[in-house]
Amino acid sequence: MNLRYIPFFGCMISAKYPQFEAAVRKTLPRLGIELVDVEGFSCCPDPIYFKSSDKLTWLTLAARNLCLAEEAGLDLVTMCSGCTATLSETRHLLTGDPKLKARVNRRLQRIGRTFRGTIRVRHIVTVIRDDLGIDKVAQSVTRPLEGMRVAIHYGCHLLKPSRVMSVDDPDRPTILEDLVAAIGAEPVSHQERVLCCGKACMDEEMPAQMTYDVLASVEKLNVDCMGLICPTCFDEYDLGQLKLARKFGKRFDIPIIYYFQLLALAQGFNPEDMGLHWHKIKAPKLIEKLGAVAG
Amino acid sequence: MAKIDFNFRKKLNAMIGGELHSYCFQCGACVGDCPAARYSPRFNPRRIMLQAILGQADPLLAEDSVIWECTNCYNCYERCPQDVRPVEVIMALKNMTHKARTNPQQVNDMVKAVQETGRTVVLTSVVDRRRGEMGLEKMGDVPMDEIRKLMQTRFH
Repeated sequence: MNLRYIPFFGCMISAKYPQFEAAVRKTLPRLGIELVDVEGFSCCPDPIYFKSSDKLTWLTLAARNLCLAEEAGLDLVTMCSGCTATLSETRHLLTGDPKLKARVNRRLQRIGRTFRGTIRVRHIVTVIRDDLGIDKVAQSVTRPLEGMRVAIHYGCHLLKPSRVMSVDDPDRPTILEDLVAAIGAEPVSHQERVLCCGKACMDEEMPAQMTYDVLASVEKLNVDCMGLICPTCFDEYDLGQLKLARKFGKRFDIPIIYYFQLLALAQGFNPEDMGLHWHKIKAPKLIEKLGAVAG
Repeated sequence: MAKIDFNFRKKLNAMIGGELHSYCFQCGACVGDCPAARYSPRFNPRRIMLQAILGQADPLLAEDSVIWECTNCYNCYERCPQDVRPVEVIMALKNMTHKARTNPQQVNDMVKAVQETGRTVVLTSVVDRRRGEMGLEKMGDVPMDEIRKLMQTRFH
């Protein structure tokens, strides 16, 4: 199989958490996946605030991004759950509704582009599972993360709406557990594993309560870190822990790590090369354990 | 007895996804797994759908509307046996608040950011330096002429 895809990193990863982009770019070649960059992408655009303003404009800007990939003729691969939500839903709506597609294409005519629906939008984890095979992830590991307990957090938009995202069973997902097990770590389920992080709720108090409950549910399980795949969830749980300390005087001190950073560690990259020192919650114990594994 | 405002419903039906509210038969399947309902006593997606059916513009489109407490988790979309997609109806209502200029400032800020830079996150010098340290290329330019043309609601 020809494993070539156009990467869509989005704003959060590229402009806020470049360590995630670096982790993806460093680990995928070792899996035999090639990324073919395309110029000119804008924000996906954001499926919460921007979509709240005007769905037609949201669909049109998203369709423009899809057009760029169509012109290059390869499937898009997304690394951010928000970008996945926007681009997958746009493709789903426009290919299923000729009238809506015509409305969007009328706007796209202004810049001489047409959405055709000729390429797919894939989240990177589905590419790894379905096109590559998770066993290939295990084969790329040179430093298995043995003895490392990783609490899994899915976040909402990777999985739902399930008929649009087509990633996994939204109530009983296993894909992240399988990916964590493939790098030799122990995936740990927690009570609030499918609770929303709360970041998209525009209330002052509710998101903090939700973040607190998820972290409290993880805290009981004596894990080395929380592993996740969504930069928005990351924001909420990493920076969020500082906010919770101020708000409730509670320090969880649970390192939050993007899956591809974990994969990079398992492929032998150093923690500082993966930007772990830039996270608000540092992971000295995890790094020490990693040293023990390596030694 | 509540009087139905069909004029409001007509406007809601014209929004993308707004028409779906008509299929709601008030079963409440959307409520059980709703995180916003779990954390806020005033948030109830079934009730929001009922208010949409009745055409109650006032509470729904007001500046302090409960719709902004939606966490956008899509559980209601999964659960609804009628394919109402309450989260999308709520999104259509949010689009109506944008027209009525009663939406929260954060939405306008995000639109402005995309209008000006094509992105929603501003690249700081710190992150730009980090990209270099990690061996990543500079972030590419967004062709803003294209973005601005597409964002105009009226185009000549």
